[in-house]
Amino acid sequence: MKPLAALTVLGLLVLLGLGASGLLPRPELPLPEHVAAAWGARNLVATIVLGVRLWDTLFEILIYAMTIVGVKLGLRPVRWEGAGPPVAETPLLRRAADLLLGPVVVFALYVATSGHLGPGGGFPAGALLGTGLLLALAKGVERLSAEVYEPTLEWVKYGAIVAILALTGVVLVLGRKGSPYLIAANLLMTVEVAIGAWVILHRFAKSRGEL
Amino acid sequence: MEGLTALALAIALLGVGLWTLIVRRNLIWKLLGLNVASNGAILFLVALAHRPAARPPITGLGPGPSADPLPHALVLTAIVIDFATLALALVFVIVLTERRHTQDVRRLERDEEHGWPER
Amino acid sequence: MVVALLAALTLALAVFALTGRRLLWGVIGVGVHALALAGVYLFLAAPDVALTQAAVGFGLVTFIYLLAVRRTGKLTVAAVETPHLLYQENERVTGLEWEILSRFGEQLHRDVEVMWVPRAEIPALLRVGDAEIGAGALFPREGETLLLSRPVLPTRIVTVRCGPGPVGAVAGDQGQDFLPPGGILYEDHTALAHALRRGEVGAAVADLLHVREWGLSGEVSVLDTKDEEETAFRFALSPAEAGLQGALDAFLDELARSGELDKLVRRHVG
Repeated sequence: MKPLAALTVLGLLVLLGLGASGLLPRPELPLPEHVAAAWGARNLVATIVLGVRLWDTLFEILIYAMTIVGVKLGLRPVRWEGAGPPVAETPLLRRAADLLLGPVVVFALYVATSGHLGPGGGFPAGALLGTGLLLALAKGVERLSAEVYEPTLEWVKYGAIVAILALTGVVLVLGRKGSPYLIAANLLMTVEVAIGAWVILHRFAKSRGEL
Repeated sequence: MEGLTALALAIALLGVGLWTLIVRRNLIWKLLGLNVASNGAILFLVALAHRPAARPPITGLGPGPSADPLPHALVLTAIVIDFATLALALVFVIVLTERRHTQDVRRLERDEEHGWPER
Repeated sequence: MVVALLAALTLALAVFALTGRRLLWGVIGVGVHALALAGVYLFLAAPDVALTQAAVGFGLVTFIYLLAVRRTGKLTVAAVETPHLLYQENERVTGLEWEILSRFGEQLHRDVEVMWVPRAEIPALLRVGDAEIGAGALFPREGETLLLSRPVLPTRIVTVRCGPGPVGAVAGDQGQDFLPPGGILYEDHTALAHALRRGEVGAAVADLLHVREWGLSGEVSVLDTKDEEETAFRFALSPAEAGLQGALDAFLDELARSGELDKLVRRHVG
């Protein structure tokens, strides 16, 4: 078993080395600077994610939404009897959560809205917002479940997907370009990714965990 | 220099991750190895996008070549999808543990060989 | 230069995390490794990727692992399957030791979680704290420093010979201590029984409970010469869990005093 494993790993590494050596040709692409200028953006990565390869991004978001459906189907929530909440509630933790939640949300929004000018964009902003919402777990799962109504969040998430689809239509069919579209798409992606991360974390916290 | 270092690191991470994925028998450890291996694959793409003395792919930062923005854009979505698929895989491991009371792949394989008991 | 240092740190963290034995350290190691990796991305002129990697790799992935492997309110039992004592029936675990453990868990207000693992891995799992109790096997083997509970069920180590051929035993089981040179080791008793039936080995060293269950027509000879109280199925605990051992011993004493233990033994073993 182990020699075979070593051989497999070695073979894959040799293949990677071949790819890295530059022996394989690379295709010609239009200069990203020109594309960015047409979009009124300065961050070339955001231009590609939201402009040139918008369909790509859209379907990757759909994959993300599908995995969340899988997580929801697989994990059954557990009623807490006798056992404590998943995150121990202490005054310090509660105060830290209250203090940090606001700045994290503001920073995530900043990262999302400035994503076409500097580093940032919908994906990191959504992940930041999702992690920030985790701070709310310090309040205890039961109380949180009472406050946050998950089906509403779900509808917001699917609404965000539909809105991205509509935006895609405007951009691809009508040929509209410009920074307002980039900002709108970044914000929608933030909503989508953040709600997805939140639903996953919330489900894991509500289930019992294993091993 | 940075590019070469990163390439070496990417290949090493991929090796370590794949090794864990193949040799470890516990499913949770296998997933940890898979996570490190996918980090290596992502770093590999980003290292390929790097050019000597390149600036970030943002216009208006001054003269000189910029890193290739296309791999960055591809990798950005891959990182998020990685997280989502990892969550799904963990859910499968949790369900499996609930039913079969083990995370040992060899035992699971043997159980399957002998036929899974009736529900 | 800084890049080389960061890269070395990233790789060292990954290797530390993946070669370790304790799951919690592995998860945290991989999380910090992702953070160092985000630093490497900064030097590769990829600030977008660095931001995403830091938020997802260090934040979301670590948290989801911690939520998945947390064991609050659980009593994790690393166990091997043994007939009558601890075995799986459909999707449930049952047997004599299961009855005892589930009652003990009720007393502690903790859910008992049985995990089937190879016999040889139980001491390491107990030592790093990934499991609290070891069950279903004869503890300890020579050289294993584990805390032991009082005996649950006395037994004997025997050798059963069905034909010519080498002697087999289970790796990590007490039977390995009695294995003559040239003997073959198997991972668990099921594999040993298969080997015996196929004729791969002519004899097997095992405890009486397993040998009786196999129903072989062979000559059985008792190997251990220690008194009966010495060789017995017990629970094993990590050396750091002296408090839990005290509670378990008190619980078992109470069970034996009230006659409940005898009733359970008669019901499950006969």
